[in-house]
Amino acid sequence: MPNVLVFAESRGTDIRKVGLEAVTAARALADAVGGEVHALVGGPPGIAGKAAALGQYGADAVFVCENAAFAHYARETIAATIAERAKSYRAVVLPFSATGRDLGPRLAAKLDAPIAADIVSLSASGDTITVKHPGYANKVIVTLAVTGPLAVLSLRPSAFTPKEAPRTPRTESITASAATERVAVKEVLEGARGKLDLGEAPVIVSGGRGLRAPENFKLVEDLAAAFGNAAVGATRAVTDEGWRPVSDQIGQTGRQVSPQLYVAVGISGAIQHLAGMRTAKTIVAINKDPEAPIFKVADYGVVGDVFEVVPALTDAVREAKKGH
Amino acid sequence: MKAENVVFLFVVVVAAGFFALNVQRLVEYMRLGKPENRTDHALRRTGNVLGIGIAQTKMLREPIAGLMHATIFWGFIVLTAGTIELLISGVFRGFSYQKFLPDVLYKGYEVSQDTFAVLVLGAVAFAYFRRLVLHPRRLEGDNIGHSDAYIILGLIGALMLTYLLAGGFLSAAQPAAIQPARFASRAVGTGFASLSPGTAWMGYRVNWWLHALVVLGFLNYLPYSKHLHVVSSLFNVYFSNTTWKGDRAVMRPMDLEADVETFGASDIEDLTWKNLLDGYSCTECGRCTAACPANITGKPLSPRKIVVNVRQRVMEKGPAVTGDRMEFLRPMFVASEEDKGAGSRSPRTPEQVLEHRLLDQYISEEELWACTSCRACLQECPVSIDQLDVINEMRRYLVLSESRFPAEIQPAFESLERNGSPWAFAQADRAKWAAGMNIPTMADLHARNERPDVLFWVGCMGSFDDRAKKITVAFARILQACGIRFAILGQEEHCHGDPARRMGNEYLYQMLAKDTIDTLNKYQVPTIVTSCPHCFHQIGNEFPQLGGHYEVIHHSTYIDRLLSESRVPLQSDEGKRLTVAYHDSCYLGRYNDVYDAPRDTIRRALPVVNLVEPPRSRDRGLCCGAGGGRMFMEERTGKRINVERVDELVSTGADTIAVACPFCMTMMNDGTKARGSDVQVLDIAEVVADRLAPRV
Amino acid sequence: MKIAVCIKRTPDSESRFKIGGNGSAIDETGLKFDMDDFAGYAIEVALQLNEKQGPGESVVFAVGPDSVQETLRKAMSMGVDRAVHLKVDGPVFDGVAVSKALAAELKSGGFDLILFGKYAFDTSASIVGTATAELLGLPCVTAASKLEIASGRGTARREIEGAGEIVEFPLPAVVTIDEGIARPRYPSLKGIMAAKKKPLETKPAQLGPVRVQVKAMELPPERPAGKIVGQGAAAVPELVRLLQNEAKVL
Repeated sequence: MPNVLVFAESRGTDIRKVGLEAVTAARALADAVGGEVHALVGGPPGIAGKAAALGQYGADAVFVCENAAFAHYARETIAATIAERAKSYRAVVLPFSATGRDLGPRLAAKLDAPIAADIVSLSASGDTITVKHPGYANKVIVTLAVTGPLAVLSLRPSAFTPKEAPRTPRTESITASAATERVAVKEVLEGARGKLDLGEAPVIVSGGRGLRAPENFKLVEDLAAAFGNAAVGATRAVTDEGWRPVSDQIGQTGRQVSPQLYVAVGISGAIQHLAGMRTAKTIVAINKDPEAPIFKVADYGVVGDVFEVVPALTDAVREAKKGH
Repeated sequence: MKAENVVFLFVVVVAAGFFALNVQRLVEYMRLGKPENRTDHALRRTGNVLGIGIAQTKMLREPIAGLMHATIFWGFIVLTAGTIELLISGVFRGFSYQKFLPDVLYKGYEVSQDTFAVLVLGAVAFAYFRRLVLHPRRLEGDNIGHSDAYIILGLIGALMLTYLLAGGFLSAAQPAAIQPARFASRAVGTGFASLSPGTAWMGYRVNWWLHALVVLGFLNYLPYSKHLHVVSSLFNVYFSNTTWKGDRAVMRPMDLEADVETFGASDIEDLTWKNLLDGYSCTECGRCTAACPANITGKPLSPRKIVVNVRQRVMEKGPAVTGDRMEFLRPMFVASEEDKGAGSRSPRTPEQVLEHRLLDQYISEEELWACTSCRACLQECPVSIDQLDVINEMRRYLVLSESRFPAEIQPAFESLERNGSPWAFAQADRAKWAAGMNIPTMADLHARNERPDVLFWVGCMGSFDDRAKKITVAFARILQACGIRFAILGQEEHCHGDPARRMGNEYLYQMLAKDTIDTLNKYQVPTIVTSCPHCFHQIGNEFPQLGGHYEVIHHSTYIDRLLSESRVPLQSDEGKRLTVAYHDSCYLGRYNDVYDAPRDTIRRALPVVNLVEPPRSRDRGLCCGAGGGRMFMEERTGKRINVERVDELVSTGADTIAVACPFCMTMMNDGTKARGSDVQVLDIAEVVADRLAPRV
Repeated sequence: MKIAVCIKRTPDSESRFKIGGNGSAIDETGLKFDMDDFAGYAIEVALQLNEKQGPGESVVFAVGPDSVQETLRKAMSMGVDRAVHLKVDGPVFDGVAVSKALAAELKSGGFDLILFGKYAFDTSASIVGTATAELLGLPCVTAASKLEIASGRGTARREIEGAGEIVEFPLPAVVTIDEGIARPRYPSLKGIMAAKKKPLETKPAQLGPVRVQVKAMELPPERPAGKIVGQGAAAVPELVRLLQNEAKVL
């Protein structure tokens, strides 16, 4: 039977949202090919309690692998465990998360199956699964045809919305396949969250000369803190004045960044600065001069006094984050 | 011949021989440099010697110090005639010009000798006063001491004194021997009137000998002194290429196909003999360094030090590689340079001498990258030294041979390579500014089999920088209002590579430049107008090196011409009564001698304008800080150059700073912002576009 | 150390893309191709490791059409010792097929370390490095933002969704390189000249069956023009709503 195996990614003893998204996508695929959805969950003892919940999103069967080693991502053991069971499936579905990026190609190689990664939609007909995948750094949508009896598919986070399709899944406890973890995790730097690197941060809040004095960077820092996953950047004018360290500088002669969200506070948008942040996915600009060039590249602009707008935005973001 | 004459002849021959050996040695060192033809254009070169050399035109840019020097220099020329007479008479007793010259001429000669002896003595006294009391700032710094200057001034003073004393004693001994024409000598002689003729004669002979010995000593001191310039500078002016309109100011052509180990210069052998002669010719007067925008604002660069370092390295390495046979001839020190320089003067083994090089041991990377290529140093140098040439060659070495440069310019190089502009903007957006303006591209016209009157070369700043785009639009509006048939290249335009060239990346430059030439040739481009002085200079002056010959006109000249022909439809009123300080662009001014066109443009467009000048203007103008690729580098040392410039422009009381260059625009804008000044910065095209009559 | 670096040639990321005639490829006219950014980081890492650790060899591999040779030369102008070109006709979107071609070539190379970029601009899929490791049976660390090698073992830092982890692994191994680890050096003209004389070997890529094929390419909907949300603090609620619902970044 053309069943679909889905890796329901977890963190600690919780199923992640991307795991539920994968189950939903797998359900749709299984319905299209006329098969069942089998979910595989691996986690530290206690994860079994969450397994039944996967039925809520359409899993017909759940394989639970409780193993203390799965407190963190045990790449080789997980890959071996999934690969051992995946051979007879039509497809293996998993999230294109940090874990899934690593796991997907391992499975494809182990199973000698084709893989399509970071996909945003999928459909199946016959022995072909057709997927859409944003290539060229999201500048081109590529439609790929994946052929063969078994395919590995990894899904772009948030591209699929978890949808309930309740059923009571069969649950089976499995043991992890034997594999040597040659890559050992020595240390997890959760503490580094507060000081996200500009190149890594999904959100960057950046300040310019419009802040008028170094102490006013507190506004920028507060807004970054409200986002939680934000780093603080600055323009050359600001680092030249010594208000911020040179390492914070974004622009042609500083760091070139492309975060999901870039908030420009009191930045006019000189060519030198634009060259470093234009590729951000979404740009918000707050500036008192409606003629400022930054508004030409911004998706959303607010014309106004940064000392008034930014604190209000900080509060609103904090509020919005609470609701999550 | 008496015994005294024989002794004297011997002394002269020894001194002259010693001097000749030294000259031969210096010439040999100089030949370590690469060959280069500097004997073309004999007429122009001779003209330079007469103007810059003999007439001291550049010296006199500083009137007081200039006059002081000119007096000594002219005195030297005049008194050399006397010295020759004296030397001959030392061998052939009784020799005198009087025997050949008509009486009037000989009298004139005698008057000139005494006059200049007195004048030079006065100038020497003033020189001491300047150094000991006034302490001009430019004579300090770069580990330069004063002892050499004191020795030289002392020798010159001694020459004048012994000359006058000899004359005085002689006039006391034999009043008839000194004619009234030698007024000063006679005046000195009156002081010795009481001496017996025998004693006076002794005094005359003693001073005569002293004078002759000082002359010969002076001659042989020169090769060990910065005052070698007495011998070398007229030659240096003759061989220099720094002062010609048109083909001056271009960077040296470079053959990248040449089968060589390294590219650019890291030591004296990589420079040309002329660069080394420059080293011999520097008197460390510091005019270059005093005018250097980097130095003024506290950066590590001093153009004087660059030239002095070249000489120091020649003196260090020359003996080691030429196999100096006469160890004692080697100058152990150059008297003016005290032993404080970073590692430069400590004694070394020959192996160390050869291991070291000009780069790193003498001249640091930081110095080389601080240069804005503004040519103020060349402009000021009284003996036509080319400091920038050395800097450019060493930058080329850093980039082409060692790939060493400030990290922040790598994105500019990479973007030039990939995107055809130093900023990473999509080439597709290049002509976005022209949307809705109905401006044809060359390709459009070509398809219709048409050709425009002029091609408007927009440049990267003018295409991508938000502020500069306004200049671009203003200029295009002026062209349209005047009915000029013009076109742009649109997406076929990309950087000509000048920024890469200025930053030492000749390889990238030639790639971009050759590509641009292909595009221009494809359309048989007629005249090119551009609002960017860097594009103007590069395409007009440097493209010929690669076979691209075009007539390029900067927009200041072009608009000025249109205005003078009354072709620009201006509003009939007088316009705003602005007080405008025009900031000279280096690549327009010092590189291309365009000083009046931008000023005239402003005056013609705004009849009631109050045009004010800062102290540093025209060919003394201070750079905005963006040239030489500095636009793409950080400026973290000292005061920012643009702020320094804005400070002096604002202190004129101007309410508007006018510029004629998009790079200057950015720098002046940033400067006024940094100072929180509300003085507006406008390009001359914007001044004019603002005065265009509304279309009927 | 003997280090292999597998690189890719991709179009410049600043390019404005157009879809080609048959609708299943990008229009390459006017596009500038160059070494992929992440491949550049990987090369820099290899060069620095060998510079630090004394004598070694670095070899660069690429699967691609003939034009990839220019990129291989660039790698050699940066300092890589030699290059191997595994020839294919056009872009391959089947990551496993590419991995097979590379693995077949790397298998007998005796490399201590095999580096990849963590991702390539065109396929944007992060497949080839890990799959190649798996095919070679080597340990693999993905997205390393720091890498140190000492006495046969490697230590790397990885950035994973906001946190970092330090991992240790034995050599030989495969590591895919993240940005921020090292700025690729700019080749000197001397390097460019030297690269012309370094060995570049070309052979057909052993892809095996290609099971992932491009059916179509299309441009995503135009990014809506920027808008001024409003004036002053009053605009904040609307801004937050847009960030949540339209941009989906909050």
